[in-house]
Amino acid sequence: MAKSLGVPLIVTRELRKVFRSAKRSPGPLGALRGLFAPVYEDRVAVAGVSMEIERGELVGYIGPNGAGKSTTIKMLTGILVPSGGEIAVAGIVPHRKRRENARNIGVVFGQRTQLSWDLPLVDSFELLRAIYGIPADRYRRSLDDFVELLEMGDFLRTPVSQLSLGQRMRGDFAAAMLHEPPILYLDEPTIGLDVVAKEAIRTFVERVNREQGTTVILTTHDLADVERLCRRIVLIDRGRIIFDGPIERIKNEYGRERTLVVRFTEPTSAPAIPGARLEASDGITARFVFDRASQRADRLVREVSERYSVEDIAIEEPELEGIIRHIYTQGYAGEERSA
Amino acid sequence: MLAAYLQYWKINLLTMAEYRADFFMWLGFTIVYHGTALAALAVTMMRFPSMNGWSLREMFFLYALWMAAHELHNALFYNVMYVPEYIREGRFDRFFVRPFDTLFQVLTVPSRTFPDGFILGVVTLAIATGVAHVHLSLQTVLVIAAVVCGGAGIDLGISLFVASLSFWTIRVDTLRWAVMSLEQDFTRYPISIYTRAVRVVLAYILPFAFMNYFPASYLLGKHDAAFGLSPQVGLLTPLIGLLWSGCSYLFWRIGINRYQGTGS
Ligand SMILES: Nc1ncnc2c1ncn2[C@@H]1O[C@H](COP(=O)(O)OP(=O)(O)OP(=O)(O)O)[C@@H](O)[C@H]1O
Ligand SMILES: [Mg+2]
Repeated sequence: MAKSLGVPLIVTRELRKVFRSAKRSPGPLGALRGLFAPVYEDRVAVAGVSMEIERGELVGYIGPNGAGKSTTIKMLTGILVPSGGEIAVAGIVPHRKRRENARNIGVVFGQRTQLSWDLPLVDSFELLRAIYGIPADRYRRSLDDFVELLEMGDFLRTPVSQLSLGQRMRGDFAAAMLHEPPILYLDEPTIGLDVVAKEAIRTFVERVNREQGTTVILTTHDLADVERLCRRIVLIDRGRIIFDGPIERIKNEYGRERTLVVRFTEPTSAPAIPGARLEASDGITARFVFDRASQRADRLVREVSERYSVEDIAIEEPELEGIIRHIYTQGYAGEERSA
Repeated sequence: MLAAYLQYWKINLLTMAEYRADFFMWLGFTIVYHGTALAALAVTMMRFPSMNGWSLREMFFLYALWMAAHELHNALFYNVMYVPEYIREGRFDRFFVRPFDTLFQVLTVPSRTFPDGFILGVVTLAIATGVAHVHLSLQTVLVIAAVVCGGAGIDLGISLFVASLSFWTIRVDTLRWAVMSLEQDFTRYPISIYTRAVRVVLAYILPFAFMNYFPASYLLGKHDAAFGLSPQVGLLTPLIGLLWSGCSYLFWRIGINRYQGTGS
């Protein structure tokens, strides 16, 4: 596993994946034609992704539905053979050396369990112990640790088919980390979980990253996961990276809009301040949106308190969620504009 | 890998103990299944004292030989049956992210496959060996064991080939069903009763005749197998089993690189 220093742990260059499927023509004649002269339909899922991820990083890989996130993860794990470009994970080309690559990685797909349906969790873990040849004492230690951290004590002996989603997902996390891989891929690991389960899982990810130095790539639609865990995000849309950098930067570039929340002492209809747009108002509380670059907050505050009788004022910084929503709907202009 | 395989069997056998009712239900089903086939054979043979020179006792041995091989295949390789489903539903993903060969992992998915049929097959074969007066020596016992393993290899080779076609997004359900019924129907009687075309298929294309007909001819001291082949060809069964499963495995290896998974 030891690789020469200076080489990032995960490298992709112009990575591509094109899915090919046979197109079905309608009618019995079409079926016949499909048999002898099949017509293929190509769909470009990943259109040239280049990125470098260093050891110990915790990267949020995000993008709208169908952007190509899962496809990228599947190429990194060796599940799919890329259609083009290069890929190296810990110096290994995943799809060429699947078994070696598998020793370096742990994978959790939120949508699909990797546990054996009929078996109690603990049996699946035993099987994994045998698969990875984990020494008995280390196995005991990790298992006890995980059972405690993920609070799995109550359902360790229940068949997986009878577990709730949250319980099963904890099992999946333990199964992915039992062999202490240096890399952990998470594809929507918190999907469908309640707040408590989400928190347990976030804490778990945070901890393995901090204590074992595990490199984590996290795909999710819950930006609270990203905000809580990641410093860096890679944003992908239609198979291409549109942003790659610290969360702070995207906030600075995109979080131009701040919100001024004003609570009046008496009902005020249709309040207005020059330079800010009224977003919502219920008579007592009003929300004004303004551009941080062109408007100064202190002027707006002064202005509003001169015009109205104000009880309380607060300024809300942009949420990552709002920024990402904005980018999904309006497109990203940052890099393209400067490039 | 051995440790993992043993662990798999340990879990399987523990599950078997746990789901004892399931186990007995399956055992009962297997007994009824093979019992019906043998009864049908006996009824047919009441009308003919022999079929192309084969007595009922010898045909019992013929059946038992196939049964043991087929049930050995079921005990060890049954999961191959599920592969088309795994592929279609994208559940095949998981076999790429563990550090073992994909096929090995398919074979070790715990799925309540009990070796009940194989145990039954061995018992039946032992009885049939006596009933058919097969000359017993260490050598014949070894030959029988090798033939049973080779027969399971033929079964594996064919089912693995059919399953691998799924990687080319071909629907194999009908094909798999056709091959299975071909195997069931044409391993019961000596293939010498069939037309030449059927014999060619059974000997050279889907070599089910090597699971029982040729080796049984050899072990029962028959002088002539089909096509004037010497019954000695029955000794080729292990080799053919190895070849079929080996080639199918290579085909499988090509197939896994075409795996596309599903979109979600
Ligand atoms: N097995 C497949 N066969 C054909 N097309 C596929 C396949 N898998 C994915 N696609 C297509 O590739 C594109 C990218 O899919 P992918 O699953 O990578 O998206 P994603 O970013 O993970 O989306 P989501 O957030 O919805 O999970 C989509 O247009 C999808 O329809
Ligand atoms: Mg996805």
